[in-house]
Amino acid sequence: MEDKVVLKKMGRRKKLRERIRENPKWQKASTVILPLIFGIILVGLWQGQVLHRLFHTDTFTLPLLDKIGSIMADNKEKLLENTFSTLQVSLMGLVIGSILGYLMALLASFFPKFGQGGLAVIGAFASIPVVAMAPVFNNWTKDISRDASFRSMISKTIVVMLICAADMGLNAYKGLTNLKPYALDLMAIYASSRKKIFFKLRLPNSIPYVFSALKVSVPASIMTAIVSEYFAEYITGVGRQIRENIVLAQYSTAWAYIATACLIGIFAYAILMILQSIFLKRYH
Amino acid sequence: MSEERNIEIKTRQLGVTFKDNEGKDVAALTGVNLEIYKGEFITLLGPSGCGKTTLLRCIADLQKPSEGDVHIQGMTPKEVRLQKKFGFVFQQPVLFDWRTVKKNVELPMEIMGYSKGERSDRAMEMLEMVGLKDFANHYPNQLSGGMQQRANIARAFGLDPDILLMDEPFSALDEFTKEKLHEDLVRIWKATNKTILFVTHNIQEGVFLSDRVCVLSPHPGRLSAIVDIDIERPRPVEVKESTHFNELVTKVRNSFEGGSV
Repeated sequence: MEDKVVLKKMGRRKKLRERIRENPKWQKASTVILPLIFGIILVGLWQGQVLHRLFHTDTFTLPLLDKIGSIMADNKEKLLENTFSTLQVSLMGLVIGSILGYLMALLASFFPKFGQGGLAVIGAFASIPVVAMAPVFNNWTKDISRDASFRSMISKTIVVMLICAADMGLNAYKGLTNLKPYALDLMAIYASSRKKIFFKLRLPNSIPYVFSALKVSVPASIMTAIVSEYFAEYITGVGRQIRENIVLAQYSTAWAYIATACLIGIFAYAILMILQSIFLKRYH
Repeated sequence: MSEERNIEIKTRQLGVTFKDNEGKDVAALTGVNLEIYKGEFITLLGPSGCGKTTLLRCIADLQKPSEGDVHIQGMTPKEVRLQKKFGFVFQQPVLFDWRTVKKNVELPMEIMGYSKGERSDRAMEMLEMVGLKDFANHYPNQLSGGMQQRANIARAFGLDPDILLMDEPFSALDEFTKEKLHEDLVRIWKATNKTILFVTHNIQEGVFLSDRVCVLSPHPGRLSAIVDIDIERPRPVEVKESTHFNELVTKVRNSFEGGSV
């Protein structure tokens, strides 16, 4: 009799746990709650100097969060100025590069023989490390303007552009050509023109692939901008400030810029996710 | 049948040769002479490799014959295709994920440049016909396989084609769904009076649905026999239990050449 009650209780408890786990509301909320809990624990460990003990470091090299926060508040204008500089490069590179990449994919889908080869070349280019590419483009762009800040910006933008173009080109090509079996036959049955096949089939088919490209290239564009700044002629940008401040052993200020870089990345990704949820609503 | 039987599709010595991986010629189809009547439900039946799909694709101008020719209403398949007189139901539903069921059905009408209102009315009419009216605004991934295939059929009927070509449309469906769709298809066929070419490898399916069954044999693909299915319509499902039905199934089975497959 007692055993039965215990069994029953266990059964109910298990059911409850499963019910929570399978609840779609919980599943949705857990994608926010779990990372948040992780973040709070990390903040606690950091501020309580547990991290410092763990990594055998001190509050000079790894400043406490409130210190980083107060430096950020004190240098708001300078931070914003450098953020703008980094964002300008990464956004311009992202937009121009992605458009170029999509156009290349289009070209490749119209002329598959040349196209695939071309995309392979671009892909190979993009796999050159940024640290190797950045100085090359600095050198290339040294004569285009007398304004060091301008030619520096162009050089950085080109590096970002290349990375994003390759990513978009390869993904979009897949999206334009990776059609459902018989989809082209279906269009042929209705004697569709190439134009209609493009607008009714290939273009919409490529949209999810565009977003998978952006999921990589949005963070990559920021990362690339930051790394390119290290090598740029003109001293500006979040990445460059990290380097300058580390060189001067101003670790708190460097950390303020590192935090800024993180925030830029998180915000950019969040915006992308919102856009994706709008544009891919219909794709399921 | 007392009415005059007009020949709608005629193939003459139709043959298709493919190149295999080693560049050798492989005959997928040889010497097919076939006359299909207007308004007929005709099945191309055979095991895989017998060229039944190839024959269907030749008629639809999705495949160029290597020899012989096809005449449809006195025109070439290409002319008929350009006039959009074909409806084609593929083995897979080929619905576009980003369109609702209704928008998928509207696709051919969009390509044809029908007005928005006309498209919408016609699509709803077609969806009602296949029993999907309540799912018009669902997306394909929200539908079961059977429902997707219904949507596919609704789309094929949308342009009111003269000739409906169906390539193993129900082969991926379970028996219950299949039987229901058989019933629906015959009803729609009777109501619309289309010529239907139906490809299948299922003998019972072919016999149950058709006026005539064309038996194709493989290696090389060829037309071995044409069996008249003289079962009265309408045919209830119970017809499948009858002696005559089973005699016809046996007759079809014995028409295959080249022994067991």
